[in-house]
Amino acid sequence: MPQWLLHDESYAPPADKDAFVDRSIRSILGAVSRIRSRSVRRPDEARLNPGMKLASMLLLIALISLSRSFFFVMFSGALLLTLLSLQRAELILRVLKVVLPAAAFTFAILLPSAIWGNFPGVVTITVKVAVTVAAVGLFSATTDWGAITGALKIFLLPDLFILVLDATIRYIDLLGGLSLSMLHALKLRSVGRNRMKTASLSGIAGSLFLRSRAMAEEMHAAMECRCFTGRYRIGRAARVSPSDIWPLAADAAILFVFIASGA
Amino acid sequence: MGAAMVPVLAVAARKVTGEVSRERIPLLGIGAAFSFLIMMFNVPLPGGTTGHAVGGTLLAVVLGPWSACISVTIALLIQALLFGDGGILAFGANCFNMAFVIPFLGYFIYRFVKDRVKGERGEYAGLAAGSYIGLNMAALCAAMEFGIQPLLFRTAAGLPMYCPYPLSVSIPAMMIPHLAVAGVVEAIFTVAVVSFIRKASPGTIHEESSARVRPLYTLLAALICLSPLGLLAAGTAWGEWGAEEIGSVVSGGKALGFIPEGMRKGFGFQVLFPDYTVKGLPDFAGYIVSAAAGAAILVIAFKLIGLAKKTVVKTRERRSRLSR
Repeated sequence: MPQWLLHDESYAPPADKDAFVDRSIRSILGAVSRIRSRSVRRPDEARLNPGMKLASMLLLIALISLSRSFFFVMFSGALLLTLLSLQRAELILRVLKVVLPAAAFTFAILLPSAIWGNFPGVVTITVKVAVTVAAVGLFSATTDWGAITGALKIFLLPDLFILVLDATIRYIDLLGGLSLSMLHALKLRSVGRNRMKTASLSGIAGSLFLRSRAMAEEMHAAMECRCFTGRYRIGRAARVSPSDIWPLAADAAILFVFIASGA
Repeated sequence: MGAAMVPVLAVAARKVTGEVSRERIPLLGIGAAFSFLIMMFNVPLPGGTTGHAVGGTLLAVVLGPWSACISVTIALLIQALLFGDGGILAFGANCFNMAFVIPFLGYFIYRFVKDRVKGERGEYAGLAAGSYIGLNMAALCAAMEFGIQPLLFRTAAGLPMYCPYPLSVSIPAMMIPHLAVAGVVEAIFTVAVVSFIRKASPGTIHEESSARVRPLYTLLAALICLSPLGLLAAGTAWGEWGAEEIGSVVSGGKALGFIPEGMRKGFGFQVLFPDYTVKGLPDFAGYIVSAAAGAAILVIAFKLIGLAKKTVVKTRERRSRLSR
């Protein structure tokens, strides 16, 4: 038995700094998991016409930002809160996670102007930011992503954009998974202090690009094989259903209050 | 700003569909996915913090500026509309800054330096200069968009409606962090990634003949002349991106935590709380709205408490299962 085998190993690697790897992993993981969670259909979601929803959301946001009336801003805030309170708790949490930091950041950045006498303005702008962000968050959380791209087609967006949009969502998932495994590999293979990690990051981005080139070629081949020219047709004509009365009624109420509160 | 972006995107779409073969269409989508992910890569900064690159110049160099324009636009649209990270009204402004100014200006500067300084050194100098200047010009555009707002949009009482800071505040607030930190990160990142791609797989990078640089010159000259005009025109027509834009800065994760003490005098004389009374609406309207809001807040609070309890129970169950 050689002597060195009998010694206890006493290697304690120095602590490594890899916060940036962790953060990259976290943000990419967040995006990928959101895409994957969207592909699961939930039957309990309200089946409103997505085009109608998108139009209502855009109307609400446009009116909020145009409005000079504090009352109108508060009214739309109450409306949004009511809509939000009808949702599942997980969904509420997801929307609030975006809304609250955005509002807090706005408030903090506007605070110096409040000291100079613009306090009402600060409150109004903060509420406006909160309400518009909540509107978009609610829309994106309650609408199937395929339906959103379909709704964009109703808004006469060119096919090229829709095709690219669809492909992008799919490939964020695929390339995101790829970059996650590369980042995990970088983390696992850095034993002790690894000063070369930053340099490896550009390698990861570079490999990601090369990989995406190859994937684009594969996708083109797949498109050719299936005779897909990039032209979309709406399979189901967008039908107006009785439940569409709700967004229409809400739009009417919003418009009424907007005009009544003196814009 | 949205109005300013429509012709740009239309030209970009025509350029891509007309000139680019069908082969490149998938590349646009995948390029957009690539640019979306690039914005998520955190780069360590001195002092223990991290920042992220935008990668506009990088995309323009590896995919070509028109493709980069579409790719970044799509990446921003997904962030705003599908991920719900705000920024719907700021979308036009964001696109102008990040999908138009950065790729085109960055690419132009890159080509300009590369054509004049031969060899590898010229290429990398061009990349660094292009990405640094591109990002900072985009930041300057954003600062102008912020700073113009208090001039254009005021309430009846003379208070600014959206962003309350004038140009003298918004420009240093945006430019100092970008000049000092974000631009450097962008330049280092761009050079490192392009040099990696060149080494790992030469020939994959978008090559454009030098003859095609000339239209770029004219386009760029036009862009430089038009950008302040476009800002003003788009501002009066659209104007409503103010409130939203501030929210989108959060989702962009940009370093904007710097607020200089330079507030202008104009704010000093305003009365605290100008009258909130709403003409033409009865008093009870306010009560109803606040009651609805209060009830909704309660429901939300209870649902969240319920969710928290559910997760606690779940983790307990899991633990007890594990211990068995």
